[in-house]
Formats: sequence, C-alpha cells, structure tokens
Amino acid sequence: MSGPNGMLYGGDEIGALVFDPGHHSLRVGYAQEDTPKADIPAVIGVGPATHIPDAEEKVPDGNVTQTATKKDELRYYIDVTELHVPRPGMEVQTYMKDGQIDNWDLFEKMLDYCYSKVIRSPSEHHPALFTEAVWTTRPAREKLAELLFEKYQAPAFFLVKNAVLAAFANGKSTALVVDAGASQTSAVPVIDGYALVSAAVRSQIGGDHLVTQAKNMLNNMHIQMVPIYSIQSKEVIRERERARYTLKTLPAGLTQSWQQYMLKRQYEDFVHCVAQVSEVAYDDRTAASVPGLHYEFPGGYHQDFGPERFKLTECLFEQSLGAPHLVCAAAGACDADARAALWGAVVACGGGACAAGWLERLAKELAGRAPSAHRLKTHAPPAPNERRFAAWIGGSILASIGSFQQMWISSQEYDEGGKGQLERKCP
Amino acid sequence: MADILDILDIEQPGASEITRDSIIHGDKVKKKYVTAKAVRRPEGMHREVFALLYNDNKDLPPLLPTDTGKAYKQTKAKLGMRKVRKWVWAPFTNPARKDNAVFYHWKRASDEAKEYPFAQFNKQVSIPSYSESEYNQYLKSEDWSQAETDHLMDLCQRFDLRFIVIHDRWDKAAFRDRSVEDLKERYYNICSILSKVKTNPWSNTVTMVNGEKRVYHYDAEHERKRKEQLKRLFDRTQEQIDEEQMLLAELKKIEARKRERERKTQDLQKLISRADSGNSVANTQANVTNEGVTMPSNTVSNIVRRHDRKLHKKKLTTQQRLVRVETVSVEWSGIKFPEARGTGVWLRSQRMKLPPGVGQRKTKAIEQELRLMNIDIAPTPTEAICKHFNELRSDLALALDLKNALASCEFELQALRHQYEALNPGKTLSIPPSICNLNVDGEAKPIGEIIDVVGSPTALNTTI
Ligand SMILES: Nc1ncnc2c1ncn2[C@@H]1O[C@H](COP(=O)(O)OP(=O)(O)OP(=O)(O)O)[C@@H](O)[C@H]1O
Ligand SMILES: [Mg+2]
Repeated sequence: MSGPNGMLYGGDEIGALVFDPGHHSLRVGYAQEDTPKADIPAVIGVGPATHIPDAEEKVPDGNVTQTATKKDELRYYIDVTELHVPRPGMEVQTYMKDGQIDNWDLFEKMLDYCYSKVIRSPSEHHPALFTEAVWTTRPAREKLAELLFEKYQAPAFFLVKNAVLAAFANGKSTALVVDAGASQTSAVPVIDGYALVSAAVRSQIGGDHLVTQAKNMLNNMHIQMVPIYSIQSKEVIRERERARYTLKTLPAGLTQSWQQYMLKRQYEDFVHCVAQVSEVAYDDRTAASVPGLHYEFPGGYHQDFGPERFKLTECLFEQSLGAPHLVCAAAGACDADARAALWGAVVACGGGACAAGWLERLAKELAGRAPSAHRLKTHAPPAPNERRFAAWIGGSILASIGSFQQMWISSQEYDEGGKGQLERKCP
Repeated sequence: MADILDILDIEQPGASEITRDSIIHGDKVKKKYVTAKAVRRPEGMHREVFALLYNDNKDLPPLLPTDTGKAYKQTKAKLGMRKVRKWVWAPFTNPARKDNAVFYHWKRASDEAKEYPFAQFNKQVSIPSYSESEYNQYLKSEDWSQAETDHLMDLCQRFDLRFIVIHDRWDKAAFRDRSVEDLKERYYNICSILSKVKTNPWSNTVTMVNGEKRVYHYDAEHERKRKEQLKRLFDRTQEQIDEEQMLLAELKKIEARKRERERKTQDLQKLISRADSGNSVANTQANVTNEGVTMPSNTVSNIVRRHDRKLHKKKLTTQQRLVRVETVSVEWSGIKFPEARGTGVWLRSQRMKLPPGVGQRKTKAIEQELRLMNIDIAPTPTEAICKHFNELRSDLALALDLKNALASCEFELQALRHQYEALNPGKTLSIPPSICNLNVDGEAKPIGEIIDVVGSPTALNTTI
C-alpha cells in the first residue's frame, strides 16, 4: 500500500465482505475482488423437512442448509442447484419487497448460507458492507445493522446506497445513475458520493415487467413454454413444427409458486437471448429489415424471431415510465448548479442495461431530451457482468480503499451508540 | 566485494544479492557430485578411446544422443529482484477512528509498526460553533429558529459544506423547505458574525490579508438571480431555442452587412484622399478643393444608412465634419513599385514589373489605356523611361479607381433621386449640373469637383 518513497497507493484490504441484495439476486463476495463470489437468486425454497430424499439428493452435496429448528420442521433450499430440483411441498418465497429486505427470517437463512457455503469463514472475522436502495426505510436499515452485529457478530458494518457505488464503479463521484433492475428502474443523482434522495425517481418497469411482456407475447403467438424439469426426452424437429417430447413423471404436490418461479426463469432466458432494443422508436419497416434470431424452447419447438424482438422491449422506453424520462425527471429535480455535472456523467447499470441495444437507445433518447446547454455523456462498463454487478463492484472498491477504513461502524461503536447512529454514519 | 570474499574464501552471508543463478535455481543448494578417483589411462590407449570408455561419472557413453543438458530444461525463474519477505495478517488501529476499533490487514512482517498511513487523508472542514448564550446574543434571527440553525450547522458538518446535499437532506418534516441560497446565506452570515466576535477564525470563510480579517461575503440576492437565469436557460423549450438560434443568425448577418458597408466607405475615403494628394501637387487652389473632396465619402455612407429619415441631421454632420478637413492625412498611392533590390545584378526591366498586389483586372485595364495612348506596353527600359513609365501607370491606375468611384457615386445619386421622388410624389429633384454632368466629359473637370457629389453644404442646401 505504500511505495518506496513514502507515497501511498492502492488500497488496504481488511477482509471485508460486500453484499448486494436485489430482487433478482443477492451478490456476495470479498472486497477487492472484481466479481462477486456468488450471485444467488433472491428466492428461497421452503419445504417440509420430512420428505424422503430421492436418489440424487443422497449424494452428499454441501448446498443444503440445515438450519431449521426442530419445532417448525422446515428446510430451506438456497441457490440454483438446490432450488431447481422438483420437490413436493416446496414453496418459493422471497425476502425482498419494494426494493428492500422485508422477510428477515428468510434473509437470515440466506446470510447463513452465504457465510457457511460461499465465504466458508465465520462471520465475526469479516466486516460487512451492504448496499441498499435509495428508498430503504429507516427501520429496515436499522434492522439490518442489528442483525449483523447481534446475530452475526460482525466486527464492523456499513451501508451504502447502491447508486453511489455504481457511480464509484464507473470511476465517478458525481453521476446520474440509471439502474435498470428486476423490480424497478430508477434514476438517482449522486453528488460527491452522496445520493440526492429527494431528487431520485423510479418506476415499476424493470426486468420482471419485461418477462411478463414476453410471456404475453408468446401466449399470443401460441407458443407453449413447457417446463424444462418435466421433459424426459424430445425429438429433433424442423422449424415451426409441433414439438414432440415425452414427459417425466414428477413427484406429486409441486407447489404453484415453485412452478411459477421455474417458468419465470425460462421466460427470462428467452428474454436474455432474444430481446433487443431498437436504436430509435420501434418502426415496423426497420425492425423487419434486421435478420431474425433463432431460439429453441425447452420442449424442442424452435423458430426465428424477427420484429418481435424489438417490439418486446418497447415497453422499457415508454414515454413517462421509461429510463430516459426518469433521467430527465431526476436531473430536473436537482439544483441548477449540479445539472451540468450530472448530464455529463449519466451512468447506466443493472441487469436491464445488459439488454442488447439498451444503452444506445438510452443515449439516443437522452440526446433528444437533454437541454442543449449541457454536454451529455453516457457511461457504462462494456462487459455485461460489470454492468449488472456495478453496485457490488463499487462496494468492493470502496471497502478496500485505505481511507474508507475509518468509516465503518465498528461493533464497539454499535454497542455504545446503538443503531440510532446509522443515519449519521451512513448517509 | 563478492570477488574479494571469494578470493579470501570467506563465507558469504545468505545471498541477498541476486545472481542469474539465484533467480533460476532459487534457494536450492547446488549438489556436489563426489567424483570417484580418477581412473588412469592405460599405457598405449588412445586418449579418444579412453574418453569414450571413461568419462567423469564413470557412466557408459550414451547409445543415443540425449537432451538432458541444462540448456534445454524449462527453468523456473524466480521473479522479483529481492528475496521474498513475509506477510502477516496483523491487527491495526486507525487513528482517524475515535473508537480504537481493531481491524486486521496484511502487512509485511518486517515493517515496523507505525501509524495507519491512510489516516493522513482524514480531513475535516472546520465549522464554527456557538454556545447557547452566544446564539442569543448575536445570532438571533426572525427567520431562523435556533433549532433550525442547529440543524443547519449539523448538516454542514456532516456533509462538509456540500450545500446541494445539505439541501437534499434538509429535514423538511420539522422545518420549512428552504432553498440552497437560503441555507448558504444563513451559514455565511453566522460565520461572519462569529468571526467578528470570536477569536478563532475558521479556515474556510476567514482569510487573513495583511493581518486583517477578511470574511467571505455571500451575496445571496445575486446568487438567487443567477440561479433563476440558469433555470430559465435550462428550461427553454425547443421552439425558444430555435427562435434564439434564428435571431442570432440574423444578428450575424446584419453585422456582416454593416462591416461590409464600413469597408466600402473606407475604401472610398482612401481613394479620395489619394486623389486629393495627387491633386494638391498640381492644383493651386488646393485648400478650396480639399474641403469639397474629403467630405463626400462620409456623407455618402451617411446617406446610404439613413437616407430617407434624417436629411437635416446629415447636414449637421457634414458641417461638423467640415472642421476636420485639414486633419485628414493624405497619402499618395497609385501603384507602389518596389524599391530596387540591394544585392546582385538585376535587369532594369524588373523595375517595370507591376507589383503582385495589382490585380489581373487592373493590369488589363492599364494595358488597355496604354494601348489607347499608343504607348508600347513594354518599352525599352532606360533609366528615364522606367521612371516615367512607372509614374504613368501609377497615375492611370488611380484614374481608373477614381472613375469607378465616380460611377458608383453617380449611381447612388440617381438612386437617391429616385427615392426622393418616390417619397415626395410630384416633386422632382433637380440636381445641379455641377455635379451631374459627369458622364458627359469627365476629363474636362478637375478631379476635386468631380467627386464633390453631395458633400458641400451649399449643394445640399440648394437641392433640398
Ligand atoms: N442480457 C440481459 N438482457 C435483458 N435483461 C437482462 C439481461 N441480463 C439480466 N437481465 C435482467 O436484469 C434483471 C436483473 O437485474 P439486477 O441484477 O440489476 O436486478 P436486482 O438488483 O437484483 O433487482 P432490483 O434492483 O430490482 O432490486 C432481471 O430481471 C434480468 O432478467
Ligand atoms: Mg439492483
């Protein structure tokens, strides 16, 4: 960290962990690394512990967390390898609600899993940095601090707004951050590393909305999405031919929530592969001129998708709910002196920003809307993973900066000052 | 050093220096092969044969060529120029923290324990503080309660005077919403009041200039106005922006036209003064003509600008300008032939070459005139001919310019006449023959009179 001539450079790693909880997934890993160690779906399978384990489960795998107490006899299935197995009576639940953690018992299970199976190291050795949405309420923030200090005995804890971290990940301390997440899209101005809470805006149009649209579209096209876990075998067929497959015998009592969740994953895959944002507002003629993209459904049915790919994503750029509008609204709500800097650093992040053409469309629409007095510049990391993990990466950078180490709320401070100091220490 | 140690056979301390060997072989101690007692070569055996049978290792010579030499082995290079030093996961405290919390980080085992280096970046803005009584004595305000002021100072401390952030985090539930300017105004007010009554100045608002305290004065009114303007600038609609663009383009056009006109006026002026100076040599009544000669250029341009509106004003300006007639500097310039170059041998005919500044058209016109006068366009360049020929051509050039100017003046005069008649229907503008019979025979008149278009006050008075 210090060079030969007394110059200070680089960071200082203190073994901190970075957690980035979202509606779609939880990202967790060590600070100073460039990608999270794990990206875990933000849902947990909750099933009766009494069921007879089937063949594949007898293989000792470390992914099952057996933390259920004797009296409620529940077992929790976390992460895809456990979650994606059909089990009778297993309900899928999420601990997130409206951008923040809501079901704390479930979230504890998730943290248990992270410490024991991902980090594989006791929680009392690692300071923990959490990201949070700008709108996180005070009780939720305090509850999180309480959980980390009291249950997990973390030596230190810190909370940062994810927009701030996304700006840091792009090398900015002042930026207008557009986060296209699963449950919502938001635009948050960040000034000198502080998010302007009152100027932040959001809309409910996010990745999940897009998935719903895809589902409707496929329904209208009479394309059936057969759950992949129910297929025993399928035949090779010609394009647009009726799918021919045989079904597996599945255990009885699969829950509705689990089936819905599995189907959603499939629709998500379809969206990630097929959806494309057109550079200008959708227009039949230009969309038709772009060559189609082939997609094969789990049942074996396959066909080319042409203009549908573009039509699908138009909902993301709706006039008054889409990302460009949010950016303008957020910039407009800021002090006039800050606007020039904000327009000069529009930072895009979140999974939705990975969609093909999304960034180009945003830049184009903003160029049309931004006041001509400002120089407009849109930033985003080129690699899709860096876009999706921007908040986590920013946290990783922040937690390994030497001068940040004075910011942590240590367990001593927590013991003395309680959770009331959270508002002061983590603005 | 190493050489001497080697020579004296003194054991070297664990090699901290690096050699090629230590990089390639690391710390492995070189194995020494204990060679068996040398076998003597039997009498009469050829050396080559013996070498085949017995080598140092007493191995049989290989049957196949082998590649076991070091040279081909993948050598594992040790990188780094020094021996590795150990790292340890060591506890540390950070003096920038008030709670002495202990964290762990990696540090070199050899590094001595010193203060946490990053603590030096712990910088804080100093914010003035005040006691309850001080507040009541000095800082009371109708607009601000003490609780609100306290809240402001607290936020200033927490956000290091980032007023935009402070405004964002302002407790709008407890206090009324205030603008960034209101907050700044209150803060800087407090600073200036406290710096007058208290001794310790806070670095950011008070500077010492020549031992005298200078307090930063925040002009809230000005800032408010500035921000208002800025907002208006940003909130312009597309139509407004387009209109502004259009207006700017128009303004540019107008200015370009104005410049063009001024340039023309100047040209005319120059021409006239040239003619004047040329004349004054010949003309005995130089003074009389001068008055008439220099004026018109101004008036011509005046007329162009405000022809129909302010005719009487024009008169005024002409009269005023009359006073300045003598001061107009007169310079001779028809064609300036370059001075003879100083060095080397040169042809005299070079002197008769027209300088590059004279345009194609002018050259053609001069040649035309020369032909009319039956003068050779390339006479034999004797000294005298050179001189006169050049003078002649220079005069010709001037005469041509003047003719052109005359034509345009004439044109303007006619234009003005038409305008006058259009504006005053029924009346006709009688132009005195002294100024309008130019096109009949130009040469008959002295140049001064020719150019006296509308300039002389008497002429104006009589015409209007
Ligand atoms: N290549 C892609 N194309 C389109 N959408 C994508 C792509 N990759 C990820 N997504 C979508 O991005 C969303 C996940 O984004 P992200 O991980 O930022 O959400 P999150 O932070 O978990 O959720 P939130 O911010 O709403 O709490 C999902 O809805 C996913 O479908
Ligand atoms: Mg997110």
